[in-house]
Amino acid sequence: MIKLLKCEFMKTRRRYIFVTALVVTAAMLAWIYPRHHSADLLRLGWMANLYELPLINSIFMPLLSIIVSSRLCDIEHKGLMLKKLAVTEKRGRIYDAKLLYGLAVMMLCVVLSWGATIAFSYIAGFEGNVPIKLYLLYLLFTAVPTVAVYIFQHTLSLCFKNQAVTFFAGAIGTFFGTFSMFLPQLSWLRMSLIWGYYAVLMFVGLFDWTKENRYQFAHFDVMGIDWTFFVVLIFICVVMYVIGREIFKRKEL
Amino acid sequence: MNEIVKTMGLTKLYKGAAAVSNLNMRVNEGRIYGFLGPNGAGKTTTLKMLLSLIRPTAGEIEIMGKPLTPNTRIQILRGIGSLIESPSFYGHLTGAENLKILQTLLDVPKKNIDKVLQIVRLDNQRGKKASAYSLGMKQRLGLAGALLSFPKLLILDEPTNGLDPSGIQEMRELIKSLPKEYGMTVIVSSHLLSEIDQMAEDVGIIANGKMMYQGALDNLHDVDKSKSLEEIFLDLTGKEQSL
Repeated sequence: MIKLLKCEFMKTRRRYIFVTALVVTAAMLAWIYPRHHSADLLRLGWMANLYELPLINSIFMPLLSIIVSSRLCDIEHKGLMLKKLAVTEKRGRIYDAKLLYGLAVMMLCVVLSWGATIAFSYIAGFEGNVPIKLYLLYLLFTAVPTVAVYIFQHTLSLCFKNQAVTFFAGAIGTFFGTFSMFLPQLSWLRMSLIWGYYAVLMFVGLFDWTKENRYQFAHFDVMGIDWTFFVVLIFICVVMYVIGREIFKRKEL
Repeated sequence: MNEIVKTMGLTKLYKGAAAVSNLNMRVNEGRIYGFLGPNGAGKTTTLKMLLSLIRPTAGEIEIMGKPLTPNTRIQILRGIGSLIESPSFYGHLTGAENLKILQTLLDVPKKNIDKVLQIVRLDNQRGKKASAYSLGMKQRLGLAGALLSFPKLLILDEPTNGLDPSGIQEMRELIKSLPKEYGMTVIVSSHLLSEIDQMAEDVGIIANGKMMYQGALDNLHDVDKSKSLEEIFLDLTGKEQSL
């Protein structure tokens, strides 16, 4: 596998995969920060992040997944390289190596944006210390839906020559996933979409916010964390991986 | 003489229509086997089945004395060099970088890169991006990739496609030299009779997915001495088929 990962690294030379991923992450951070924080938000800042960021992640992480998976797989289609690789290595291993490489890029971006969020929050002057346990939980609940979305995008990118298919499937999923966050009454919608799990795994709620007083009397609280959906998502990841790998193995080149 | 490739009743159906039908191919070791047939006869489909790029609907394949099964597949395929349809390469990488990736995957000595670049006469262009290569150079890069492990068996699907006359001649001479210099067996497909006539020792003629003739090229000349090779070929493949 090390040999295959080394080859993946060599292939991406001059493709600027890391740079592209970092630019998208930077764009995401530039969209969130800097912004004006009222005294109330400075008081509530650490928890407010955990309430707001899943929405941002539900847009940017799938978008990043589309870009990274497509750039990684498109080189194989453009160069007609899959038929060459398939006679030198087991197809399952080709699928795995590319998936691992792409996931490494994605996880780097997830961790960087997580770290940058904490850093920017300190710079903004949020009151108190970072609730590290909750932030680690947030990191986990950002990473796992991203893995699920990436496996989906990876399989599409590898199996379809036309990357427009990948883009539209990802864009439609992202739209419904994000849209589902604005429809709390339709919980089944976000639970049935992998893009909706950024919302399903949200564990901070906003209480006592009113139009008149806004954040003056508002507070953010940790809601009950239902680990069932986390387990469901892990299961979905495994199923998508097994199915995606099998589809690629059976694909005629 | 050892048979390095053997197919038994090889068949491929696409939506019920046979692209290759009950094909029994026999390729002798150390020889150049010309796989000849009109466009759409089933040459590429057959070669892709030999390389497990597509699955046969029925039949068996034996390569280097071993049956081609999911368990033996990679072990067998690593002993085969191939160039199917258009050459494969990463356009954003240089010729040498492309070969470096294959060398790493195949786990063959690094010096093979220089050697194959010399053989295909791309050593002076090794630092140039593959996307900037001419068609002939791309074809030669594809061949260099196929030769990289100095395999026992080389499968070339229409390797002279798109080349100019001097490129065709150069490629032909190179292919002809491989069995003698490196002990390779070469299967080379073409829809051009003259091409195969100048290169191959044995020939398999396929039309409508069926093997119409198989044996030494010299014997084909003897099928009907009153007819030219072209006429014999047309008789075998059906006159309505294009050459």
